[in-house]
Amino acid sequence: MTSIREEMWKTRAILFNFAISDLKIRYRNSILGILWSVIEPLLMLGVLYFVFSTMFKFDIPNFPIYLLLGIIVYNCFKNATTFALSSLSNRSALITQIYFPRSIPGISSAITAAIMLAIEVGILAVFMVAFDFVPPITILLLPLILALEFAFVVGVCLPLSVLNVKFKDTEFIWGVVLSAGFFLTPIFYQFDMLPEYMQSILQFSPMVQILTMAHHVVLYGILPSVNTVLYAVGSISVVTAIGYLIFRKYQAKVVEEM
Amino acid sequence: MSEYAVSVKHISKKFKLYHEKRDSIFEAMTGFMQEKKNSEILQALDDISFDVKHGEIFGIIGPNGSGKSTLLRIISKIYAPDSGSVDVKGVMIPILALGLGFHPEFTAITNIYQSSILLGFKKEMIDSRVKEIIKFAELEKFADTKVKNFSNGMLMRLAFATSVLVDPDILIIDEVLAVGDIRFQKKCVETILAFKKRGKAIIFVSHDMGVIQQYADRAMFLNNGKAEKIGLPADVVASFGDFCRARDKLNDPSSK
Repeated sequence: MTSIREEMWKTRAILFNFAISDLKIRYRNSILGILWSVIEPLLMLGVLYFVFSTMFKFDIPNFPIYLLLGIIVYNCFKNATTFALSSLSNRSALITQIYFPRSIPGISSAITAAIMLAIEVGILAVFMVAFDFVPPITILLLPLILALEFAFVVGVCLPLSVLNVKFKDTEFIWGVVLSAGFFLTPIFYQFDMLPEYMQSILQFSPMVQILTMAHHVVLYGILPSVNTVLYAVGSISVVTAIGYLIFRKYQAKVVEEM
Repeated sequence: MSEYAVSVKHISKKFKLYHEKRDSIFEAMTGFMQEKKNSEILQALDDISFDVKHGEIFGIIGPNGSGKSTLLRIISKIYAPDSGSVDVKGVMIPILALGLGFHPEFTAITNIYQSSILLGFKKEMIDSRVKEIIKFAELEKFADTKVKNFSNGMLMRLAFATSVLVDPDILIIDEVLAVGDIRFQKKCVETILAFKKRGKAIIFVSHDMGVIQQYADRAMFLNNGKAEKIGLPADVVASFGDFCRARDKLNDPSSK
C-alpha cells in the first residue's frame, strides 16, 4: 500500500516536472528563450509609461516602479490562466494514455507563472536600484501577498483547465475577461482616481485587493489593515471554492471529451 | 501475496453519442430550448467481471467497437466506470497507443523520463535504466531526436522498452505491438513470456487468434460490451469463430 507521504512525493515530482517542461517547450524554439518572460513586461512598461506620463500626465510618485509592480502582479495572473486554458487540451495524448491526477496540469500552470513572476520580481529589484528607490520595511510582506495571489490563481486555473476541454469557447471568453481585467485593475492608475460607484463594485475583485495591498507595502510603507486582509482572504476563498467545485464536477469525464 | 493482480468487478460504462456535439458555452445555453434529441446512449461495457492472477497472461478478443479499448482504459484508470470497481495490486503500465503519452517536441530520453515520472517511478531509478531502455528499443542513434520525427515502429519500440524496463507488476497492451517488424515482435513476445515467469500479470488485446491461443492462459471474448465467454483460449477463440461465421452469413446475401 502506498502511504500518503509517498503519494505526495509522487505528485510533487510530477508537478515539478510539468512546470519545468512547460517552460522548456514554451521557449525552446526562440532565440531569446526565457528572456522573453522579462522582455514582455518591460516593453509593456515602456508603452504604459510613455502613454500615461507624457500624454495623460499622471502624477503618481515613483511611477515606473508603481507601473512595473502592477504589470508583474497582473502578468502572473494572466500567464497562469492562459497556460491553464490549454494545459489539459494540449496534452490529449498524455491524458488519454496515462493516468495521473487531472489537477496537475492546472496547478503546474500556476507554478510555471510563479517561476516567471520570481524572475520579474528580480527585475523590479533592479529597477528600484536604478531609480534610487529605497523600499519601506513593509516590502518584506510582499511574498505573503504573492502567496495569496498564488492561491487565487490556482483557484481560477483549475476550473479553466477542464472548462476549456468541455466548452471550446472558454478561451475566447477568457481573453475578454483578461483584457477587461487589465483596465479594471489599478495597474497604471490609482484606485481612488475611479468614480465612487466603480470603486464600490471593483473592490470585490481579488486582483484589485491583491494589487492594492502590494502597492501599499512596496511603495508607501502602509500595512494592510486586518479588515483588508480578511476581506481578500474571504473573497479568494470563495473564488477558489467555486473553482474547485467546477473542477470536481468535470474532471472525471474530461478525458472522454478529448 | 494476494491471489489476483487485477480484479475487475461488474464494470459498466455508458457513452453519450452526440449527433451534433455542442461544445461551446453558447450552444450549451441555447441547447436547452431545442426540443430535438441530440444524443443517444451507447452501452460500451455491460457488467464485466474477471480476475487476472499473478503470472497469468489474459487475452481479450472481439470485433471492432466491442469495448476492448474502453475496458483497458477503465482498468488503467483513464476512464471512470459508471458502476463497478477495478482493484489493482501493484504497479501497472498501460501501452494503449503508439507511445506512452509521448510529447512530440521532446527527445526520446526526455520522454522516457516524463512518462516514467508520471507513472510514479523515481528519477534516480530511471537514471540507472535509461541506457538499457534505449538499447532495448534499438534507438541508440536517435536518443536525442525529437519524437515527432519517429516512425510508428520506433514509437512503439520506445514505448514497449520503457514499459518493460521500469519493471511494472502488471502490463496492459492494446493491439499496438503489431506495428513492429517480425524480429522486434519476437523480442516482445520473449520479454512478455519472461515477465510471466517472474510472476507478473499481462492483459492484452489482439486480433491474432494464433497469438491468443499460443500465449494466453485465459481469454475473454467481448461483444457489444458484454463478456460472451471467459475461459481457456481455445474455447474462447472457437466461440469467437462461431460468432464471426454467423455474422458473415447474415451479411452475405448469396448464402441461403
